[in-house]
Amino acid sequence: MAVLTLLAGVIVLLALARALVTYLNNLNHVRLTQQGLVVDLRSAVYDKLQRLSFRFFDDKASGTLITRVTSDVQNVRLFVDGVVVQTFIFAASAVTYFWYMFRIHRGLTLLSLTVWPFIALGSSLFSRKVKKAYQKNRDLTDEMILGVSEQIQGMYVTKGFAREADAEARFAARNAAVRNQKFLIFRFVTVYGPSMELLTRLTVLGVLGYGGWLTFHGRLPLGEGLIVFMGLLQRLTDQVNVLTTITDSVQQSLTSARRVFEILDMEPEVRNPPHPVRRHRLEGRVRFEHVSFHYTPGVPVLEDIHFEVQPGECIGILGGTGAGKSTLLSLIPRFYDVTGGCLFLDDVDVRRLDLNDLRRQIGFVFQESFLFSNTVAANIAFGRPEATREDIEWAARLACAHDFIMAMPEGYDTVLHEGGVNLSGGQRQRLALARAILLEPPILLLDDPTAAVDPETEGEILETIESARAGRTTFLVTHRIHALRRMDRILVLHRGRQVQWGTHEELIAVKGPYRRAARIQLGDALLFPPLAGGTAA
Amino acid sequence: MNGSAAQPKPVGLTIVSRKDKEEAATTRPLSLRLYARLFRYTRGCAAKRNALLVTVLLRAGQGAVIPWMMASTINGPIRQGDWPGLLRWLVALALFTLFTQITLHFRQRLAFELGESVVHDIRRDLFRHMLEMPMSYYNRTRPGLLINRFTSDVEAVRAGVQNVVFASLVNLGSMLVAAGFMIAYDRQLFLLLLATAPILWGLNRIFRTRLSQVHRAVQESFSRVTATVSESVRGVRVTQSFNRWARNAQMFHDLVFDHSWFNVRVTQTESLYLPLMDLNSQFFLAALLILGGYRVLYGVGTTTLSDLVQFFFLAGTFFNPIQALANHYNQALTAMASAERLFRFLETPPDWPEPPAEGRSPVTEGRIELDHVSFAYGPHRTVLHDLCLSLEPGMSVALVGPTGSGKTTLIHLIAKFYIPTAGVIRIDGRDLRTVNGSDLRRSFGIVLQQNVLFSGTVLDNIRFGRPEATESEVREAARRLDCLDIFEALPQGFRTRVGEQGASISLGERQLICFARAMLVNPRILLLDEATSAVDALTEVRLQAALERLLVGRTSVVIAHRLSTVRNAHRILVLDRGRVVEDGTHRDLIRRDGLYARLYREFMLAQTDAAVRKTRSPPRP
Repeated sequence: MAVLTLLAGVIVLLALARALVTYLNNLNHVRLTQQGLVVDLRSAVYDKLQRLSFRFFDDKASGTLITRVTSDVQNVRLFVDGVVVQTFIFAASAVTYFWYMFRIHRGLTLLSLTVWPFIALGSSLFSRKVKKAYQKNRDLTDEMILGVSEQIQGMYVTKGFAREADAEARFAARNAAVRNQKFLIFRFVTVYGPSMELLTRLTVLGVLGYGGWLTFHGRLPLGEGLIVFMGLLQRLTDQVNVLTTITDSVQQSLTSARRVFEILDMEPEVRNPPHPVRRHRLEGRVRFEHVSFHYTPGVPVLEDIHFEVQPGECIGILGGTGAGKSTLLSLIPRFYDVTGGCLFLDDVDVRRLDLNDLRRQIGFVFQESFLFSNTVAANIAFGRPEATREDIEWAARLACAHDFIMAMPEGYDTVLHEGGVNLSGGQRQRLALARAILLEPPILLLDDPTAAVDPETEGEILETIESARAGRTTFLVTHRIHALRRMDRILVLHRGRQVQWGTHEELIAVKGPYRRAARIQLGDALLFPPLAGGTAA
Repeated sequence: MNGSAAQPKPVGLTIVSRKDKEEAATTRPLSLRLYARLFRYTRGCAAKRNALLVTVLLRAGQGAVIPWMMASTINGPIRQGDWPGLLRWLVALALFTLFTQITLHFRQRLAFELGESVVHDIRRDLFRHMLEMPMSYYNRTRPGLLINRFTSDVEAVRAGVQNVVFASLVNLGSMLVAAGFMIAYDRQLFLLLLATAPILWGLNRIFRTRLSQVHRAVQESFSRVTATVSESVRGVRVTQSFNRWARNAQMFHDLVFDHSWFNVRVTQTESLYLPLMDLNSQFFLAALLILGGYRVLYGVGTTTLSDLVQFFFLAGTFFNPIQALANHYNQALTAMASAERLFRFLETPPDWPEPPAEGRSPVTEGRIELDHVSFAYGPHRTVLHDLCLSLEPGMSVALVGPTGSGKTTLIHLIAKFYIPTAGVIRIDGRDLRTVNGSDLRRSFGIVLQQNVLFSGTVLDNIRFGRPEATESEVREAARRLDCLDIFEALPQGFRTRVGEQGASISLGERQLICFARAMLVNPRILLLDEATSAVDALTEVRLQAALERLLVGRTSVVIAHRLSTVRNAHRILVLDRGRVVEDGTHRDLIRRDGLYARLYREFMLAQTDAAVRKTRSPPRP
């Protein structure tokens, strides 16, 4: 009885120890994976995504990039949780079991080992099959999610054209594709696991038969021989489940790992040079030297652009739809690198300038301005988060945004919707202008900022641009001659080529696209009196 | 603890608004209503579900049978040296094993398939519901959160369906079978086992609340992570041009770290909970050992040694599932939180009841009437005040006015993207409230300020509203708009890929595609909101000329800031702060010398730049 009590005591103590070890182990483990691995990987992928070049985002759908930071990273964690740790546990316990089993009977142990080559073969076959299937699954899922996110963004189009039924059918097809392909994976997985278990269990029966035969002939004691051996083997067999799960996890996590590392290994096309030239304050001299650019080889977007701009000059850019105006602007802050020729800022090739210095000194107002779901003030201070409220208001006033901001429910503290959808186009543009002005950049790039603005505001914005021109070089893309004529010089693009370059007076005096555009907008009367024809180059 | 889930926390890049917080599920673990609702989703594949139930029950029975058969083989033929008997038992065992593995295959496969089918159906319903929600819903909902419904929430529910319900049934089943055997062997020892039940119950109670709280915190913080990633990717161009990488990365790191803390807390709680459950079983085993051993040794009762050994084997089968069940319980908590969010979205009623579709458009002539129409976005944000208008069929109407005067809202109301807060809008005499929105918009051609294209070719996008149109019809439409040459000049012409994954095409080109898309459906009513703002002047003039011809016989409402393009409209409505302040033709309004005349003069003044206005720039602080 004392022995019994002792045994009982040992059981409880062991259980306590096990509970403690499990607790500590789990805690360490979660710190390692969730707080170590997952945090690091997520941050790394996010950081990389923020740095990748525009070209990368041009042909990637945002929906698929989000899952790489979220679920794919979680799956990589599966590799540590489900593969590394489990394999270690499996190996350790298998070795222990085999050691005990071997001590009991060699022949039986060897017999029980015969199944392992088959399991290895089965597992490798399975891995090969399922690997492609998992990859396909991720692609199909991406496509479905892309469909959802596009639908949310394009909801008004679907509704506006009463094509809800189409949208639903399109989604149904993608949804079903995911399901059907998943069914295929399930078939692999559920054939693999149980069949491996079947093999092992049949081996166990072989062992039982052989062991029975051994006991009959007195070569193996029943109690501490066969029964213990079978007990051990039974436990080991249960671990085969673990093994098949591991194999499955390997494939799942590798598929995700591939997607995560694809991002991490990606070199941003535009990189900081190894020995960057530092310029804390650029003067604003911009020189294009025979610059050409293409998005896809063979389809040139800009060809042989060649001009120079002095600090403080205002340059207007005019050109037809798709002439390459926006592209030209985006070469200056190195959103893309030129594919031919050179681009100099203050006589330094932009590719040699420190990228941070470069972009800090360029204010950019995009054609379509993205605003973040934060307060108006935080959006204006996006590029200079330490700016004071006075600075922010100053920039807003300059961009003619102060009045409408004050008319909003909570003024500068009004929280905007993602993308700024609750503002009108003109309001978005003025906030974007304030955001750029607050940087007080030596170079200001404005991509058609007044397109969606009423005439009154447009006049005010143009005044702002003029009053803000002192000490900075300004590029303004616009279709409006009345804005262009205020510029120091005008660049006219046509299908990616520089067709005209000069002042308003020069360009209006000669035949060409500028004069044609001016005639349309201003009418013939405005071409008179002839502006001293002699000034034409 | 680092950061708290209780407060909306500004993270600089994004702010977690109160609205987002409402997305978080309340602590109401394992509500039966949710279960019932989830269960209803298995109706679509009832055959599968029933087959699964059968295999589950089979598996539950099998779990205890194999150890019993093994034990009997050893105790029977092997102990007795009965060789043919051993062979018979082995063959029986082999056959039974085969049977169990086949059952296992189907149990797993059916569970997976059932889970996937349920998920498929939920996604289908989510999408359908998404389409039913009016535009007003999308103007107040963050896209990232909606996408979360389709991804992480649906996944959690899948795990719930696949693992929890049926696996729990298996485990409960094996426990019951084991209990049955145990009762048969020794009733008194079994009563001892029942004594542990209150402890289990108590443990469960303590941990349930804590677990569901941390689970909620995990999901909330994850929601923030995804929404931030989504927004960061969409706004990446701004981030790069304003040099915000490092700062954003730091913020994101903090967010992810916060999230990881909640994960750690889940693990902390779980790894206290699960070992405690296990400890409870071990205590029982110890007690069993003492009590059973005592009775065997001192011959109290009828327990024999072999009974006791059997009892111990069975106790293992009885206790092992408890751990698994506790684990499932955790998963169930997560799944239910997600299910609650999903169903809450599915139950959100559209902002107004939409009459059933009739399948044909109610628009015949295209007469638009507004009868004392007012509209407000919120309690204090009235945008339109008491508008009364009647637009004759075939008339072209221009809306003019300063930013924020309500022009876009008016167009949205006519398209029934919103409904008026007061007053009635009629089209061809029918109150829009009694007309299905989708039916109505069959006769509309709409171009709004956001120029959204879907991924696909230019051709696909132009024929979005009329997918059956042939390529030559599309080309014909482009020709009539006088922009065929522009489409043809694209890298691959009409086959150029656009949309989110598309190569960079310019904004002007995108607007032209949207315009062509609207014209291809041959609309009776055309609504254009800044449709050509980014198109160059030359092309715009060509479009204007084309429109002169294309607008004949259609009612059109046009917003344009370039007043040169509205001069020829049949009627110009000047809006100011939500009211129509002037109404007439260009000549009328110029003669009246009011707001329009002022705007027009201003416009022409700017065009001609005759006077340099005084610059008034605010002083630098």
